[in-house]
Amino acid sequence: MATRSQRKQLAVAAILALMAALLAACGGSSSAKPTLNWYINPDTGGQDAVAKKCSTDQYTIATQVLPTDATQQRIQLARRLAASDSSIDLMSIDPPYTAEFANAGYLAPIADRFAAKLKSQSFKSAIAAATWKGKLVVAPFWSNTQVLWYRKSFVDKAGIDMSKPVTWDQLIKVASQNGGTVAVQANRYEGYVVWINALVSGAGGSLVQDAAKGVDAKITINSPAGEDAAKVIEELAGSSAKPADLSVSTEGTASTTFGSSKGAFMVNWTFIWHNYDETDPAVAKDIGYAMYPETVAGEQARPPYGGIGIGVSSFSNHIDLATKAMECITSPDNQGINAELTGNMPASAAGYDYPPLKKLYPPDLLALFQKSLQVAAPRSVTPYWGDISSAILSTWHSPTSVNDQTPQESATFIEQVLKGDALL
Amino acid sequence: MKQRSGLGTWVGFALILVWCLLPVVWIISLSFKPVAETTVGSPQFLPKTWTIQNYKDILDNPDFQHALLNSFGIALISTALAVVFAMFCAYAIARLEFRGKRLVLSLALAIAMFPVVALVGPLFDLWRSIGLFNTWPGLIIPYMSFTLPLAIWTLSAFFREIPWEMEQAAQVDGATSWQAFRKVIVPLAAPGVFTAAILTFFFAWNEFVLAISLTSTTASRTVPAQLSYFVGPDPFNPPYSQLATASVIVTIPVIIIVLLFQRRIVAGLTSGAVKG
Amino acid sequence: MTTATAARPVTARRTTDRSAAESRLATKLVAPAVILMLLVTAYPMLQALYLSLFRYRLTTPGEREFVGLNNYTTALTDSLFWNDLFNTVVIMVVSVAVELVIGFAFAMVMHKIIFGRGVMRTSILIPYGIITVVSAFAWQFAFSLNNGFVNGWLSWLPWISPDTNWFGSHWPAMFAIIASEIWKTTPFMSLLLLAGLSQVSEDMLEAAQVDGATWFQRLYKVILPNMRAAIMVAVLFRALDAFRIFDNIFVMTKGAQKTESSSFLTYRQVIEQFQLGMGSALSVLLFLSVLILAFGIVKLFRVDLAQARGES
Repeated sequence: MATRSQRKQLAVAAILALMAALLAACGGSSSAKPTLNWYINPDTGGQDAVAKKCSTDQYTIATQVLPTDATQQRIQLARRLAASDSSIDLMSIDPPYTAEFANAGYLAPIADRFAAKLKSQSFKSAIAAATWKGKLVVAPFWSNTQVLWYRKSFVDKAGIDMSKPVTWDQLIKVASQNGGTVAVQANRYEGYVVWINALVSGAGGSLVQDAAKGVDAKITINSPAGEDAAKVIEELAGSSAKPADLSVSTEGTASTTFGSSKGAFMVNWTFIWHNYDETDPAVAKDIGYAMYPETVAGEQARPPYGGIGIGVSSFSNHIDLATKAMECITSPDNQGINAELTGNMPASAAGYDYPPLKKLYPPDLLALFQKSLQVAAPRSVTPYWGDISSAILSTWHSPTSVNDQTPQESATFIEQVLKGDALL
Repeated sequence: MKQRSGLGTWVGFALILVWCLLPVVWIISLSFKPVAETTVGSPQFLPKTWTIQNYKDILDNPDFQHALLNSFGIALISTALAVVFAMFCAYAIARLEFRGKRLVLSLALAIAMFPVVALVGPLFDLWRSIGLFNTWPGLIIPYMSFTLPLAIWTLSAFFREIPWEMEQAAQVDGATSWQAFRKVIVPLAAPGVFTAAILTFFFAWNEFVLAISLTSTTASRTVPAQLSYFVGPDPFNPPYSQLATASVIVTIPVIIIVLLFQRRIVAGLTSGAVKG
Repeated sequence: MTTATAARPVTARRTTDRSAAESRLATKLVAPAVILMLLVTAYPMLQALYLSLFRYRLTTPGEREFVGLNNYTTALTDSLFWNDLFNTVVIMVVSVAVELVIGFAFAMVMHKIIFGRGVMRTSILIPYGIITVVSAFAWQFAFSLNNGFVNGWLSWLPWISPDTNWFGSHWPAMFAIIASEIWKTTPFMSLLLLAGLSQVSEDMLEAAQVDGATWFQRLYKVILPNMRAAIMVAVLFRALDAFRIFDNIFVMTKGAQKTESSSFLTYRQVIEQFQLGMGSALSVLLFLSVLILAFGIVKLFRVDLAQARGES
């Protein structure tokens, strides 16, 4: 049996150990050479490689991976920023949330000299998505867009000419007549709003106007263009070209559908080109590509714009170093390296000149990507995008429930939500 | 009734085993499927090809390692502290006479029924302003509070069954209430304390709402939260089989505890709520 | 508890000094736990009450304004609030009812079984101890279109095909959520019922049998009435627990297909949309619903927890 003093010692030791554990959990590293924490969206190693390459004698860049879906990325970042957390230095920000972060003062300003350089090197759509109240607030790193992917064998069998622009209506009809599917993204998540936005923009409309007015922005989804978009979704959801998992489909499940025996058409991001290289080489050889489908025949399609801008946190203890790191990360060469490793395409034409890309992608596909970016329709830049997007999801999901009333219902609902008169 | 235990009981026994273990076997089976197989779609129960690659990947995954460490640390510390506080409280309830005893028990009961989600907002706001957001203490403090009721109820039920005369005898021999508590009750109560600790540990190991709301990085994110944010090798497809693997790994401690202490857990669960 | 004094004949002999000292000691022993419990519940609840009077969004803190009871009227007149409350009640009622039946059957088997008690206890405790998130994943994957075995195993049913998308519409998705909930918590129910079952006196059962009562008569006339307290406590605990359902929904549907629960709605307002004002109002409403529910069950079934615990 332990004596009383031994027990006391034990108790003291236990308490000390507990405190040490707590301290260890709270304490950060404070070595001489600072580590810059870069919060990245998950990818297949591109940003890690760039982080290594951009680490210098002055600082090391360490990456921290955020959750997969864009809404969750926003939540994770915004909660920490709202807590004035200094452990975020750099972040990879999805375009729709750039305005919200900038408006809340979470982003350190970008110096005019660097902003000018970014403006001259980047695509126009990338700059538009990175600008809030006339100022560039994040540095465009990669710019993504969707194209129409098709199975060459299916197209041959169905006898549709893919060299000319095609409409959604055509695709759905051809696919259902020939036992194929049209794979899209229609789960209850941001990817579905991306599709809706592209459809509405393709019919010459928009979701929101005067977005900079915030709560008082004009909701324009209730328009002929909105109805055209609803028609496409309704048509697909009611046809036999509808993938079985339509209402839970994401970029990943869409690629599974496309790779299956019923695969015919799919709209998806640029990474698809190398998606099947290892898992299904036969499919990889069978992939064809074309411009994003038109919502209305004869009207220019407006493919989705996606991508990542790099922002420096205004709560960082190393804003100067982080800004330097940001310049390095977003240089065209590093954009090229990232594209090579991830299939997420550069935000600048100079990035496309990175030689390995030309080996990985056929020249006409690279040209198609760039052409798509030129006509791409970014989502509205507003600090309330999160609300607008969720409000659209709750009225437009599931896709089988979409009908000609949906645009009007969603417009009313978005307005109520923005004014705080309805629960989201 | 005794005579009827024949075939029926056997069938019931088998059904219960299938019911309880089928989902567990399923997730184990899934954990041996290669990631590529689940990405393409693999609806059959057993893997087409068996692999242990998932286990290697998951155990090598630094995020998962951190989450495991956080889970163990946070669960153990909150369990230890909650049980100590609960022990004091339950002793007072079972053995001492004081006003407000019923109030304390009602409070414990009310908190056991409290909707945790209702606290998420104010706690988040409070934690971020005092710097507890995304830290171990930020989870330990609420976990302690929410496990206290269960621990108090279980312990006071156990304490009530400890032979009262022995403590009295110690007090007659000149020991104070405190000494009587330490010398007599503690050794007798150890099994009860242990049971309370297991139940408390399960709660903290399992907790999810606070874990996702009050953490944001691997500095404090526990396994349940990490699982729901888990990103596999392919950012566009959930890594089904790796999620299954991680699920199996975090279930191992549960299974070990259950195997070793099943009798205690059953006693604790029922004594806390039903038995006197 | 009120009669605890009577259970201790020694008290009368004690001097007032002694009992005052005892009371002081008790206060000291009880205080840390009580303070801790209040700190983490009462204080935040008061803060929620205060915040619920504002329109306050974390990412636009400059626009914070006092709106009085507006958040409450908005919530209470919104169909989403009632829809989610309805979902929550459906989940609660269905899962508790099914668990009661299955749990009772389990308890009967466990009560009678002579062999393999250890094996049975172990396997029944695994669902109890398993992390809810893990259970939700297991069931989500089981029902999944591309990776689940359920469609294959049940394809002989006329309404299930290999293409059945369980998470594609409301009721199938609710079914999957409830299945996961039931699987995970039936063991808890069955253990509580087993404890109640073991308190039913064998003598009474034998007497009933001698009197020629059938199995069902014995069940309804002898077993169930004698287990009343145990059943009510089990129902109370499980109902309040099921009312807070969150984890399963978060993992399985994220609230899609209108499968959101009240807890999930509150979580989304606060954590996903940073609406601290509206979120706090919903927190208060959620708290009140739980109070009403608990009060209702206790009154309706006249559950005396103290008595159930043998404290009287």
